[in-house]
Amino acid sequence: MRPWYWTGVRARAQLGAMLIVPALVLGLEPLGYGSTAFAKPGVPRAGEPAPAACRRFAAMCCQPGDEACVRPGPARGLLLGLSALAGAGAAGILFALGDRLSNGDPAVLLVGGGAVAGVGAVLGMVAARVSGDGPRLEDRVRRETLGLGMASAGTRVLGERNPPGMSLRVGPTWWFDDRSRLRLLGEVSGLLGAERQVDPRPQLADAGASGAGTQPTALSRRRLGFAFGLDLAVGLPYPVLRRSARLGPAELRYRPEVQYRRDWITLGDAGVRMVEHTMLLPLLVGARWHLSPRQRFTLYVGPRFDIVSYSALDGRSLSRGKPEIAPLYGEAWYDIDVPLSEHPRRDGVARRAKTTGMLSVGYVHSRFGGRGLNVGPVIGFLGPVHVDWILRVRPVGSKVAAQLGAGAIIGNGFAVTGTVGVALPDVPRRPRR
Amino acid sequence: MNHPNERRAHRWMLLALLAFAPTHACIQPECASPDYGNPECRVLAENELARLLTAAGVEVRFQEPGAAVASSWAATGLVREPAAGTLALRVAAPGPFAISLQPGPMPATLQVTLENVDPAATITAGPPGAEVEIPGGVLGATSRSFALTLDDDRTVWIRGARPCPPRFRVAVTADIQTNPWQFERIVDRLIVESQAAALAGEPLVGLVIAGDLAESARDDEYEALAPIFARVPFPIAVTAGNHDIYRPRSPQYNRNYGPGNHAFTVCDVHVAMIDTGSGTIAPSVQARLPELLDRGGATHLLAAMHHPPYPGITGSGWSREDVAAQVMVEFAAAGVDLVLAGHNHALRDFPDIDIGGGSLREIIVGTGGAYQGLGVPRYGYLRIAFDGDTMTPCFVEVEPRGLDGPAGDPLGTLAYCDP
Repeated sequence: MRPWYWTGVRARAQLGAMLIVPALVLGLEPLGYGSTAFAKPGVPRAGEPAPAACRRFAAMCCQPGDEACVRPGPARGLLLGLSALAGAGAAGILFALGDRLSNGDPAVLLVGGGAVAGVGAVLGMVAARVSGDGPRLEDRVRRETLGLGMASAGTRVLGERNPPGMSLRVGPTWWFDDRSRLRLLGEVSGLLGAERQVDPRPQLADAGASGAGTQPTALSRRRLGFAFGLDLAVGLPYPVLRRSARLGPAELRYRPEVQYRRDWITLGDAGVRMVEHTMLLPLLVGARWHLSPRQRFTLYVGPRFDIVSYSALDGRSLSRGKPEIAPLYGEAWYDIDVPLSEHPRRDGVARRAKTTGMLSVGYVHSRFGGRGLNVGPVIGFLGPVHVDWILRVRPVGSKVAAQLGAGAIIGNGFAVTGTVGVALPDVPRRPRR
Repeated sequence: MNHPNERRAHRWMLLALLAFAPTHACIQPECASPDYGNPECRVLAENELARLLTAAGVEVRFQEPGAAVASSWAATGLVREPAAGTLALRVAAPGPFAISLQPGPMPATLQVTLENVDPAATITAGPPGAEVEIPGGVLGATSRSFALTLDDDRTVWIRGARPCPPRFRVAVTADIQTNPWQFERIVDRLIVESQAAALAGEPLVGLVIAGDLAESARDDEYEALAPIFARVPFPIAVTAGNHDIYRPRSPQYNRNYGPGNHAFTVCDVHVAMIDTGSGTIAPSVQARLPELLDRGGATHLLAAMHHPPYPGITGSGWSREDVAAQVMVEFAAAGVDLVLAGHNHALRDFPDIDIGGGSLREIIVGTGGAYQGLGVPRYGYLRIAFDGDTMTPCFVEVEPRGLDGPAGDPLGTLAYCDP
């Protein structure tokens, strides 16, 4: 015999699920939500088809500010479905075939990329509930033209040193039209000092090494790196297919890139060895899907070729290697624009600057930089996860905007990252999208 | 006054930037709070477990084979005292070994069991100049027991070495994990091959297992393997895989097998075993690579580890690819003839990996019994035959019960062995 309150609890739970689940799955906004700039439930844009759901949920309506109709709710639902399909399918293949799959790397990439797509879609739904899906931000966060980045490392081991990394980045952009552009990517990076690691073997303990504990230094490493590449984005006609109408426009991308690291490694008393590791990505291609005027999913994938060169101990010249096929390279990012200054100030005074934010969640399928995500015994398969929050502050009337970013890289530990940069005017100046 | 969202965002930015401020409040010596998922803590563990102060005050230390003084020690074995006066000394690998016993203040008699030693090895024990030979044990047994009395203040040494003909073999496999039954079948085949090889004057002198002996790094899994290992009629050299080490609270792998990072020379081949269970190696081991890869007078040089430093597009690579590249550089610089790995539950051969203009060969032999998914699995071991300057690897498939012949075909660059 069920208690008297059972029926009531179950009915309330069912009612709650009926309301919450569709809202979360589609990122729907309930009636009456949103500012005047947002799509309003029940008020489709003039001339646009209006599905019945639009009468109740804004995410099912065409979002204002775009030349063509984008309905973020179905777009996010589709991405979530695709991510589940990709992630579960790839994981299923890996488990079904075990670790013996000779070319298992693409499946691992699908697992990581699918996870970001799924997490991004859910975050997108939450963001749509909080700040709305549109309209498009006129001055959204993009890669800064000139920036300085830092990644903390740190150590908790006595006698060791793990200096932060610093990078100088450039990203000038040439716009062909408001949806197609070419960006030059450049970065010079390095460690701010030498990394130092101790040897914990107890038989080597040296009580005379005062100030640094008793564990002698085993290895030290200095690092310098650079990366350069081109990032070409070409907007596709919208809709590119009849069936993709109202799901958001897409871009195709091509980003040939080279990443290079040189390490000077002091191996105990043996001497210093130079090791160069170069990653070539000549065929890195990708796509970006604008799921809503403020949300994007970007995917890159391509073959990777590595070159390893080295010097003799204490030598100055390098024995150069040749390119070898390496694991696939891939990236998956979900970006959410967050307007921070679209509301007028409470005191009525005009704002001196426009501030926009962007939350990015990404997975990089490469452990080239020394970071990979390990979970239990799943070690050595996945690359790192990135979470970034970036602010763009543009004084009213200024051609230059400042960008500040903070984030984290999760993989072989946890690194806090920060960036400071400026966004200079694009060449030539085009309407921003 | 700014909008609250804006102020909130600026506050978070400030907090994030403060994260870069250096802090020294939490500094500790390495592994003072052990996490055995950290490879450096396993280095500490394997060295701690290579020495012991017995209940009678005898300091027992594993040494490098050529050591003459007992002032230090080396992670070349595992010392245990299961009961007072009883010593179990597991030698980590085939080839010569040395153990020192520094007497305590009182005379002591120890019942010593040497484990994982070659039945063909000559073993001596006693103070320098007064060594006595320990008689051989049961045919095919890799353990020997004897009593040892320390009645003066001289250090007692236990040393062992085996005679080697110019032709000999080494077997390699990896990844037993969930299927010790299949590994038993592999051991059956190794016993048969060992007897045939001995008659042919080409003894099988060791088995290398490149990690993942257990699925979940539990003691009961290692206990299940112990009687199987005891049937192998020659020494076994093991290193840790990701499934052996991921429980961070206790170094169960090291407690059962001793070191994961060690090197040995048997007959004319030098083998460096490297613990890559964490998808990387300990920086202190990276610093020692020139020493671990020093072949001495050996003609051949092998390096064995669990994670393949060159994974191709198998997906089974290192968590730190930068360190993997640096390790391959050390292999190339030392002139490693063959890199052996597991992790990928398959047989793979990468015969020509370019490192600095030179060439490395890597064979993945994760065929020790672990699950290989749908389809007929290919289990077995790699046989490496050495004859003077030549080294010939080939694969011996040990089909699972129910199949009447090999399930796989030879690789283009790696043949199946002649029966």
